[in-house]
Amino acid sequence: MSNEPLNKSLSTDEDVIVIKDLNKWYGSFHVLKDINLSVKKGERIVVCGPSGSGKSTMIRCINRLEEFQRGSLIVNGVEMIEDVKNIEAIRREVGMVFQHFNLFPHLTILENLTLGPIWVQKKPKDEAEAIAMKYLERVKIPDQANKFPGQLSGGQQQRVAIARSLCMAPQIMLFDEPTSALDPEMIKEVLDVMVELAEEGMTMLCVTHEMGFAKKVADRVIFMDGGEIVEENTPHEFFDNPETDRLQLFLSQILQH
Amino acid sequence: MSNEPMPELQPVKSGSFFNNPRNRAAIYQILLLLGLMFFFYTIVSNALANMEARGIKSGFGFLTTTAGFDILMSLVEYDATHTYAKTFLVGLLNTILVSFVGIILATIVGFIVGVSYFSQNWLLKRISIVYVETFRNIPLLLQVFFWYFAVLSALPIVRDSINFGDAVFLNVRGLYYPEVVDEPGSAVVYGSLFLAFVAIFFLRRWAHKRQDETGEQFPVFLTSLGILIGLPLVTLLIMGNPFHLDYPEKGGFNISGGTNVIPELMALALALTVYTGAFIAEAVRAGIQAVPHGQTEAARSIGLREKRIMQLIIVPQAMRVIVPLLNSEYQSLVKNSTLATAIGYPDLFTVFVGTSLNQTGQAIEIVFMTMAVYFAINMMISFCMNRFNESVALVERK
Amino acid sequence: MREFKPLPAQPAPIDEVGVIGWLKNNLFSTPLNSLVSILIIAFLASVLPALIDWLFISANWVGTSEAACKAEGAGDGACWVFVSAWMQQFIYGSYPDGELWRINTSLIALGAVIAAPYLLPNELRNSVGVPLFLVFPFIGAAFLDGRLFGLEYVSTDYWGGFSLNIFLAAASIIIAFPLSFLWALGRRSEMPFIKSVCIVLIEFFRGVPVLALFFMGSVMLPLFFPEGTNVDKLLRVWIVLILFMSGYMAEVFRGGFQAIPQGQYEAADSLGLSYWQKTLLIIFPQVIKISMPNILATFIMLFKNTTFLLIIGIFEILSTTQTALTNSNWLGGHAAEGYIFVALVFWCCCFGMSMISSNIEKKLDTSHRN
Repeated sequence: MSNEPLNKSLSTDEDVIVIKDLNKWYGSFHVLKDINLSVKKGERIVVCGPSGSGKSTMIRCINRLEEFQRGSLIVNGVEMIEDVKNIEAIRREVGMVFQHFNLFPHLTILENLTLGPIWVQKKPKDEAEAIAMKYLERVKIPDQANKFPGQLSGGQQQRVAIARSLCMAPQIMLFDEPTSALDPEMIKEVLDVMVELAEEGMTMLCVTHEMGFAKKVADRVIFMDGGEIVEENTPHEFFDNPETDRLQLFLSQILQH
Repeated sequence: MSNEPMPELQPVKSGSFFNNPRNRAAIYQILLLLGLMFFFYTIVSNALANMEARGIKSGFGFLTTTAGFDILMSLVEYDATHTYAKTFLVGLLNTILVSFVGIILATIVGFIVGVSYFSQNWLLKRISIVYVETFRNIPLLLQVFFWYFAVLSALPIVRDSINFGDAVFLNVRGLYYPEVVDEPGSAVVYGSLFLAFVAIFFLRRWAHKRQDETGEQFPVFLTSLGILIGLPLVTLLIMGNPFHLDYPEKGGFNISGGTNVIPELMALALALTVYTGAFIAEAVRAGIQAVPHGQTEAARSIGLREKRIMQLIIVPQAMRVIVPLLNSEYQSLVKNSTLATAIGYPDLFTVFVGTSLNQTGQAIEIVFMTMAVYFAINMMISFCMNRFNESVALVERK
Repeated sequence: MREFKPLPAQPAPIDEVGVIGWLKNNLFSTPLNSLVSILIIAFLASVLPALIDWLFISANWVGTSEAACKAEGAGDGACWVFVSAWMQQFIYGSYPDGELWRINTSLIALGAVIAAPYLLPNELRNSVGVPLFLVFPFIGAAFLDGRLFGLEYVSTDYWGGFSLNIFLAAASIIIAFPLSFLWALGRRSEMPFIKSVCIVLIEFFRGVPVLALFFMGSVMLPLFFPEGTNVDKLLRVWIVLILFMSGYMAEVFRGGFQAIPQGQYEAADSLGLSYWQKTLLIIFPQVIKISMPNILATFIMLFKNTTFLLIIGIFEILSTTQTALTNSNWLGGHAAEGYIFVALVFWCCCFGMSMISSNIEKKLDTSHRN
């Protein structure tokens, strides 16, 4: 896999996400400038960049948590349009994990997990619970099923959040800085779950500063700054051979501890 | 402008008509608008039909006709030959009077009781708690009745008035006290009082500036108090006391001279004070408790004296919590003053929604005029309190 | 190595512990404090004995008519006979003697409906508890009225007493729940027209004196109904109370909405929940929980304000008391006794609710960490 991503054809059958000329403004502030990106099925992409670079905004556009004004976005063959049903359809195919977990505090862990399957996918309760328990075992906390989110540690909550997304059987998983709000000793347990997921072939788009994770699993690493994709490369090239001075500076800042 | 051509950007496409969120929003709003139009059409046509059937003329023409009833108490000249517009004014002034008295007294009571909660004196703290918990949990109307029917009605008749030094009499008809009557020269004393306020204003500015520049502090509070009392007192003596007191004189069945407060006003003002005072005390307590204890400790650790800690650290922060709460308490006090109608104190509600409406039957106009007045008073309170709130916020930033 | 031996604890100085220590620290710590304490003690000593004597010792407790208080040898304290003789009216108004069980049943049912959400198992809470809660006011009203159930018809003119205060307040807040939630949602809406309509509604019902609203209900509302229709006065009052309550509750809910982190909406969106699923399954339960103390405070206000209905001639408890005070058999001036009794009844209810409210608040403080 060499560096031919930008000039590659923008929609083949394998592409599950195609972003074309995406532009977004907050009022008069231009946050995303002509973003072009396509993601193949099973591809693992890590996005990094300084804060305010638009990386979170970009992945939040993919499941329409953020609106955009210009450009097109195709997710799993469905083009994102101004249509309530269409947006709900896309969200069903895309799982999302947030920096602050965003578990529902008034529901038990099990209820958090079965909410989507029951109300969105209209599955019977027993089936939904069976699925939920399966994924709770995969993230290694089946014994916490009947507790409330507030009773769990940060790392456990984030693993529950990942399981909650997986219960919807998504085609794509988005991670928005999943480890930034965690205490250092809990980061590993979450990253382990993510690595496992990557090894199983899940399509993943991950905003993170965990460079070890990027080196280990990413197919491509993207560097964003000022609302643009500045550089895009294989992890090897990205870290050892940055093309732009901007990335060089960024890497020196985050790796110099 | 650069010469580069604008990139061709395709706008976001939209889906089926009804699933487009913008179209949905428009449809919902049009439905609501149609519903409201239908609703108002129905009630207006019903109201017109009903009024015609009952022979009520709509409009504000009644305001210029003679009211023909007396009012128990009036701050302006009024008798039965005046118009409904005048009754409106009389009622409005009485409402403002009782609200103003209530707000002032309730604030004083509330702050004293609220601060007492933090007293080191166990008894005082208990009394503060008992006061708040008792009076805010008893309906206001009941308290009004209690003062009016159980306490003030139990006062002696005129002949047996409770007599405070032949100057103040308290009996079942109210509180009688001497009236201050101006004589020539009194304007000078009023003028000196005004001058004292101006002087205090400039003194504060001067003291502040001097402290900024030289670091020296000046006892502003005591000096201000001295000016406020001293200056008018001196002019009073120089002018040879240009006032005299008109003492009430007690006869067998009547008291002549002086001025009086009718028991209706006393009962209402007392009840509003005691009730709202409990809520204000609660607000003050919440405000002071909202300042973390660490603030006091930090202030002590940089060596501020207790008095200065209060003035510079605690009060400005507590006020940020207290002022918005005071705002809503004042507004509910004004709204609650309508209970006057239960004991016959002639406030706006009693004379206008009560008697005037009964006589004219013009329910819609009268109810809406009254509501508009209470709205306006509350907006004014809100406006003042918001200005005050901003100034509190400024103090904090200094 | 040196062995560590803890020092033995020593008794505290005598003036720091026990009764003397307590008195010194709490009543007489400074000269000013001592003066305040002495003044308060003197005041209490002069007032309390007479008050206790009037309230209890010299009070008349037994009897059925005023004569019991006026009789030779009767105490010159409070005449509690007045209260006990009128007790039935104070609680049930003029509801017919033989039908009082209907009021008692309704009161018990009301308690059960309120307790239901806490007692029912999780699965039944939404499917049974909530609908039961919402239809209760209508069933209860029909039951007291009687015609629909084939019971003796009791016109609303005979409803009264403290039970009416309770029923009106409860029936109003129950219906105000969904209504005010809609208003609060509307106020948060991005649709400008819906938003402004909701703002006008909320601010109108909050800004106008409740007494003006009651007058609106009793003198203005009849003008708005088609000619010839006669809508029951109590029903009109109920409508007014619902709208009044909704204005205040909508603001309470708005505060609750603001306390829900944005992430909750985003997480619900990312699961693909629809707007109403998101609102009802995720947001509403959390808003209710956070707002509970303020809802209770608003309810206490509404409950106390039901006494204002006296002014438009509804026979709630205070109105009944006024009637009793002017009754020709009881002209001995029992205002104080009557008011103290009514005050005590309200105080117990309101104080109880405010205790519950502050307990919930404390629990929220510790448990609502996400």
